[in-house]
Amino acid sequence: MTAVQVTWMREVRAFGGTFSGSVPVAAFLSVCGWTFVMLLRRHEGSVLQVQSIWGVSVAPWLPILSAVLTMRLFSEERATGMIDLLLASPIRERDLVIGKYLSAMTVMAAAVALSLLSPAVILPALSAPVQGTVRVSAFAATYAALLLQASTWCAAGTMLSVLFRNQAAAAVGALVLCSGLPVAVYAVVLAWIPSARTQVAWMPLLMHVYDFSTGLFSTGVLSLYATLTVCFLFGCSKMLACLRLRG
Amino acid sequence: MLEIEHLTFSYGRRKALDDVTFDVAPGEIVAVTGPNGAGKTTLLRILATLLMQDTGSIRLDGTDPLARPIRYRRGIGYLSEHCPLYSEMTVEEYLTYRVRLKGERSLRVRRRVGETLEACGLGEERRTQIRLLSHGFKKRLGLADALVMHPKALLLDDPLAGLDLSHRRMISAAVTAASARAAVLLTGHEVHEMMMCCTRFLILDRGRICASYRVGEHTKSALSDLLERQLAGLSGGKEPQ
Repeated sequence: MTAVQVTWMREVRAFGGTFSGSVPVAAFLSVCGWTFVMLLRRHEGSVLQVQSIWGVSVAPWLPILSAVLTMRLFSEERATGMIDLLLASPIRERDLVIGKYLSAMTVMAAAVALSLLSPAVILPALSAPVQGTVRVSAFAATYAALLLQASTWCAAGTMLSVLFRNQAAAAVGALVLCSGLPVAVYAVVLAWIPSARTQVAWMPLLMHVYDFSTGLFSTGVLSLYATLTVCFLFGCSKMLACLRLRG
Repeated sequence: MLEIEHLTFSYGRRKALDDVTFDVAPGEIVAVTGPNGAGKTTLLRILATLLMQDTGSIRLDGTDPLARPIRYRRGIGYLSEHCPLYSEMTVEEYLTYRVRLKGERSLRVRRRVGETLEACGLGEERRTQIRLLSHGFKKRLGLADALVMHPKALLLDDPLAGLDLSHRRMISAAVTAASARAAVLLTGHEVHEMMMCCTRFLILDRGRICASYRVGEHTKSALSDLLERQLAGLSGGKEPQ
């Protein structure tokens, strides 16, 4: 068993055995279901398809869930001193980071999959024309887009949990980085340079989910999220290595 | 053989270790003692690769931790001062997790865990949750973690602090047994207790080694008096923030 697998297993068990996993996921499912129903009512009779509404109802809550799930990954280890034992073990920092990141992603993937319960429960009650537009492949594409975003938020949250001993501080930092910062940058760019709207069209994150759900795949979007994820994870392992420099 | 040469480390402007040089051969149990803030924990944290020295070198059987960190860490067992553990796990689960994390093959894990639990007197507690253990048993589990992969160098930060006589004896016996195949370096203030197992004492003050005594060169009571007199005369330094 590799260090990544061992770390992943321990973290997944920790998520399952404590409130740090189950309570946030339950809250996430509740708000996603509520948002889905609200959006469905608001867009009644519009051209929006069910998978798009589902995707758009889940995406805004992903940064919050990822911030709550990842906040304890390293900050708890730092607060308890367990990080010393991990760093003194014969494993690479990156293995530790990947194992913990994958554990958060596992919970995220399960939570997003469970959020499909809302459309699954409501769909039979909808009219026949709406039901006719539902395709499994479209839901799969939306799920992939949501996971793509979740992977970036989780990587950012994992990186920030290395910086803080306090879990709440790590969660707030992740929220600012994942939700506040992109919106603020987008608003500032558009305010200062309105003509740049076309160049920064990737900024509205909900649009990516909507595009994927309607079959509009973009390699630019894929590489944006993949690059951000790799950068955050790389930064995370380097920050972990830097802990050795300052103790 | 653990060799430390001209080790220097500073927290900002304050020197925590200043030109520290010594070595520990397999079979030796070297105690580093001194007042609070003398640099004992800093020294062990550098040896455990949790801090990086400013200057100087470390070698464990010729392996430099800066050049080959994974290989070096495979050769050390480290017990932290505060002995952190995952409280939601049982004793056996925790040690199994640690053995797997350290890269042991699946087939050997159970045997290694079983042997180490018995060696540290934790056989009867193997299914107990860690949060229910007393401080003494937690220290034993921390020691079991350090010992489990049969390291070449055992680094124990204050292993006897806050323990009652039975736990101190148990830990001393386990450390003595482990020293047959490892170089052991431990820190602490409990001179009398450390005398039970140690073969050499180094006194650290303000980051410098100011005295070294071999246990065989003096009677235990004479050495104990000597150490206590010397320690009483030392002022120590500031604890790192």
